[in-house]
Amino acid sequence: MTPRIRVALLALAGVVLLPGAAAVITGLPPFGATIAQYGERINAITPEARHVANMVSAINFDLRGLDTLGEEFMLLAAITGTVVLLRGRRGEGNTERALRRPGRAVIPRSEAVVLVCRIAGPLTALFGLYVVVHATVTPGGGFQGGVILASGTLIIYLGEGYAGWRDAVRSHWLDGLEGGGALLFTLCGLAPMLTGAAFMQNIMPLGTFRDLMSGGLMLVENLGVALAVAGGFTQLFLEFMEETREADELDEPGEESA
Amino acid sequence: MSVVSNILPYAVAVWLFGAGLYGIATSRNLIHLVGCLGVCQSATYVLLLGLGYRWGSIAPIFYDHPPGTPAVDPVMQALVLTDIVVGATLTALLLVLTIQVYKRSGSLDPEKLRPMRARQGSDRAEGSDRGHDGKRTVL
Repeated sequence: MTPRIRVALLALAGVVLLPGAAAVITGLPPFGATIAQYGERINAITPEARHVANMVSAINFDLRGLDTLGEEFMLLAAITGTVVLLRGRRGEGNTERALRRPGRAVIPRSEAVVLVCRIAGPLTALFGLYVVVHATVTPGGGFQGGVILASGTLIIYLGEGYAGWRDAVRSHWLDGLEGGGALLFTLCGLAPMLTGAAFMQNIMPLGTFRDLMSGGLMLVENLGVALAVAGGFTQLFLEFMEETREADELDEPGEESA
Repeated sequence: MSVVSNILPYAVAVWLFGAGLYGIATSRNLIHLVGCLGVCQSATYVLLLGLGYRWGSIAPIFYDHPPGTPAVDPVMQALVLTDIVVGATLTALLLVLTIQVYKRSGSLDPEKLRPMRARQGSDRAEGSDRGHDGKRTVL
């Protein structure tokens, strides 16, 4: 199919779909006029029922916790797929040193960069932890905090270079973090069943409203998500970095001829 | 509120989705294609957040404001939050597939993608695939 035919097909599909889209858009409630009843009820009931201030965390970890469990495993599956595809090509082995392209000058890092990264890296990690533990009282949570934690490890890479980064970040730990986080979340669902409660029922003491330790089981689930996201994203960085190293041996000769 | 502000966020979502779709349809580079998919995905963020918004409402976090203050729809925000995280990992997965395609075919152009065949020179299909390989180098 030539690009011209593809664009024509796309335009045709657009022309066919546009009236439908227009009808849907004009049928929607005007922007900013009202919100769905479900969200309205959650806002009204949850602060009292779950003693948490952050409704988004309450939905993610309690009211719709089952959905987040599925989403957690989607994350796990996507990262596992990435790792398997990259390692399947490259082998299990890791390298301690970065790729050196022959002929390309190795420019030493400026000391200012090292200094800034050594200051910013731990601060970023600290901020990530702060965001993680304040899941139930501020706009924080495991997803956001986990990504910030993973960014902190990237700053280490920027400052210390590949070898230093690999000293600080161990691949097996990341596997453990990622899988352990998902396991922790699953156990949070299963453990209440041992007491006769429903799956993922919030049986832990709920704490006091606006307190750091409010939310009961949500705190544990939040920790699981933070571990999984931080471990998973760092694992992604690591696997993509490993991709730039020199291969130990050419594993599939003749592949380049295609 | 005027008609424009009533439908503007939805129109932006449609526009973003359409722009992303156009990029996907005309893409000549798989990395560009993954980026276009990201544009399509950001249309869903705009749509969800637009649906959940209400004028004069606060964020659905009742720390500084007492519970009962009108707040925007937290369900949409939770959806967007998980959407972003999963979207990021899926982008990584797609980029890995792009790497695989590049290693296999030596090109990032989707037009040059051909159906997968048994690998040349591998022990499984060494004999049967010779004829195809001759044709493939011609192509």
